[in-house]
Amino acid sequence: MSEIREIADLFDGILKDKKLEKYTYTLVKSEKQELNVENDEFKLMRTVFNNYASIKVFKDNKMGNASGNDLSEEALKKLADDGVSAAESSPEDPCHDFAPDQGKDVFRQGIYEPDMDRFIERIKEFLAAVKKEYPQVKVMQAIGSYDRNNWISRNTNGTEFEAFTGEYSFYAGVCASDGEATTGIDGAGFTAKDLDTPFIELGEMRRCLDSISKSIHPESLEGKFEGTVILTPGCAENFLYMVIGNYISDSVVIDGTSMWLDKVGEQVASDKLTVALKPYDERIVMGERGTQDGFRAEDVTLIEKGVLKTHRLGLYASNKTGRPVVKNTGGAMVVEPGDKSIDEIIASVDKGLLMSGFSGGQPGANGEFSGVAKNSFLIEKGKIKDAVTETMVNGNLGEVVKNIRAISKELTCSGDSVMPYIAVDGIIVSGK
Amino acid sequence: MLQDILQKEKELFEDGVQTVLRGQENRNRRVVILKGNIVQNSRSESRGINARVGKDGLFGFASIAEYSEEAARKVLKAASENAALLAHHSENKGIVLPPSYGSGVIPTNRDIVDAEQKKIIDACRTIDAYVEKKYPDLESRTVVYTEDSQDRIIYSSDAYSGHLTTPRCYIYVMMSAKTKEGAPVELFKALGGYGCFEDNFADLEQYYPEIDQLYKKVMDKKEGVYAEAGYKTVVLGGMMGGMLAHEAVGHTVEADLVMGGSVAGPNLGKRVASDLVTMIDYAHTYNGETAPLPVYLDDEGTKAVDAELIRDGILTGYMNSRETAEKYKMKPAGNARGWTFSDEPLIRMRNTCILPGKNTVEELIESVDDGYYLIDSGNGQADLTGEFMFGVTCGYEIKNGKLGRALLDTTVTGVAFEMLKTVDMVSDKVEWSSSGFCGKKQPMAVGMGGPHMRCKIMIGGR
Repeated sequence: MSEIREIADLFDGILKDKKLEKYTYTLVKSEKQELNVENDEFKLMRTVFNNYASIKVFKDNKMGNASGNDLSEEALKKLADDGVSAAESSPEDPCHDFAPDQGKDVFRQGIYEPDMDRFIERIKEFLAAVKKEYPQVKVMQAIGSYDRNNWISRNTNGTEFEAFTGEYSFYAGVCASDGEATTGIDGAGFTAKDLDTPFIELGEMRRCLDSISKSIHPESLEGKFEGTVILTPGCAENFLYMVIGNYISDSVVIDGTSMWLDKVGEQVASDKLTVALKPYDERIVMGERGTQDGFRAEDVTLIEKGVLKTHRLGLYASNKTGRPVVKNTGGAMVVEPGDKSIDEIIASVDKGLLMSGFSGGQPGANGEFSGVAKNSFLIEKGKIKDAVTETMVNGNLGEVVKNIRAISKELTCSGDSVMPYIAVDGIIVSGK
Repeated sequence: MLQDILQKEKELFEDGVQTVLRGQENRNRRVVILKGNIVQNSRSESRGINARVGKDGLFGFASIAEYSEEAARKVLKAASENAALLAHHSENKGIVLPPSYGSGVIPTNRDIVDAEQKKIIDACRTIDAYVEKKYPDLESRTVVYTEDSQDRIIYSSDAYSGHLTTPRCYIYVMMSAKTKEGAPVELFKALGGYGCFEDNFADLEQYYPEIDQLYKKVMDKKEGVYAEAGYKTVVLGGMMGGMLAHEAVGHTVEADLVMGGSVAGPNLGKRVASDLVTMIDYAHTYNGETAPLPVYLDDEGTKAVDAELIRDGILTGYMNSRETAEKYKMKPAGNARGWTFSDEPLIRMRNTCILPGKNTVEELIESVDDGYYLIDSGNGQADLTGEFMFGVTCGYEIKNGKLGRALLDTTVTGVAFEMLKTVDMVSDKVEWSSSGFCGKKQPMAVGMGGPHMRCKIMIGGR
């Protein structure tokens, strides 16, 4: 029996003694081993042994949530009391609930015993490769982390999920310089379940290194134009999460401010676009197995050939609005590829940007966004020109997904998502 | 408050290495009421011990989610082993830390007093009821209570020790209305600050005028227009001035980013702003009063003092850890901080502020023929080059020295050390904010402040 299961049995006894009739809880034991690189050199090794305990208590249609990181008997008793206290102080709202019985299951994902020596050697290999192949690039900060988790979740409807997970992740933040001329920061990262592939070949790492090494002497744009912006895979993922947040998430559906409130089943985007959250996709390293509402997680298609299939609602928002619940808390975004190569898409653009970063304010509820195009290059007459600086892009999220010009057939798998390049027409690009 | 069980573990500090042992508890309380519905109601606490050991320019760090003498012994051992493992794989000899800049005990600054969840919910419902009753024409309203506090006990082998706390709590009020075209617009206001629930929310009525002002701005905004994109003369409000101090300048003068190649590296001692601009990262006291989020001791055991960054437009200093201070021949001022017990100290800002000038706000606005008055920002980011971005959530046109129509959401950008040279008028009062988090591997509570400033900046729009 795992240690976390023994603690769960202890917690069950505490909750039984307190005569609680309805609750759901999660207990976690985790371990992190993290290597930190600063300015091309190892700097710090960090180990974190952590715990997490969270309980939702339901009492007379009231709900309260308490959490902490102490799994001792005394702390679990206090946690239960805090949960009860939070519930009792809350007003009645029968929409708070958790999933019906999902059965019992044990999930195992990734590598549970890390090879830290090989992990360190892979990082050293990455640093050496950058130094050799991209001599103007500095690895300002790199973080290599192995994370191991054992969690268990139980509730009074009968569900019991336990999971054993272990994954490697790596992120490198880079800049480039030539004398006193220096770039801004760009970065790329990935999650992996093994150490079989050199890190420089994973995720968007090479694209990031190529891009930053060509950005040392950027040019300022003059004036403004309406053009085509090609979003790199990571940038496209950020935009699509903004679309989800602005148009189909819990809060905007509950308060009725979503511009897609009554658009399920309707065409809201270009028919080139299909967006899904797929925790079971084999390219996803650590997909969700149990949702925050206690459901067994499912793959869900949000937009299919431009048609909105569902809002992405948790159980509370579903109960509140009478709309269907989605058994997926988020993450593991998979976008279907298009039929053109990225080179063909670039060649088709008369004037625009290749944009790999967007630094902007949170778009308003109406979807309007404006921000700075970071790590971006001007495209003119089908060719990539200079890197640009002090260049702003403005548009509307709803229009972005409608005005998709093309989606690349190349896909980037970061372990957390599967994304193509997405080219969008009608974006306002402005310089000084 | 944490009980001090760490003092005797100092005996275990290894000779020849620099060691800091830290016990820490973070508390969070959160209630969210969306259009009258309580959608979040939570309390959480995390507690544990960490140790950092530094030897020959390399660091080992370890933490455990237990607060016990045994846990202290374990993290000291594990941190030493991590440093040794790194030394085995690395040829980096780094910067060897200097002897201490002083040692002693920093006195505890204040207690943390916990509030019952019911009191918190009642306060949020009172605010929500006020908004619902007085402003029924709003499309939506949200009231959020958020509280976070740090309680830290620090022992260092060669520097200061102490037991310090940093509690803060806020009620955010968010309002949403629709334009005549049916598009939603929204604004929010953070009420509260440093201290515990009773310090900030014993009297809720004191905040009603600010809530009324927020409603007026939302009504203005629903009639708002898009800014005209381009390079414009603007008056930045005090909150925007604080964001400028933090994002546009502050990050570039964090010495770890200077080492990474930030634009501040080659500019030390040079003019980076007009001579109206002086900027300080305050430790704990501003103008004789407690700063918005006071820091008395950092997580390397350095006693916190103010860090001067820009004086009369000349870049005069960086914010440092002990290591970077040695590299740049400066004195560390207590900027190395970690957010939770499991976080290693990083160079972080504290209360970063551009100092006031001599003009009134009215004089600044009257001086602009065609430009914008930018009041509030939702978020901001900056780059090594000093290129920054702030989201602007609240602003107005200025035409012939008078305020015009409100603005819809927009974004401003510029390059800090170029933009600051265009500052030609500075108001005589500073506005502070302390509710935000700065993100840099870990989150961190920071204060930021600034006066109104007239300058030129790139603004996004249609």
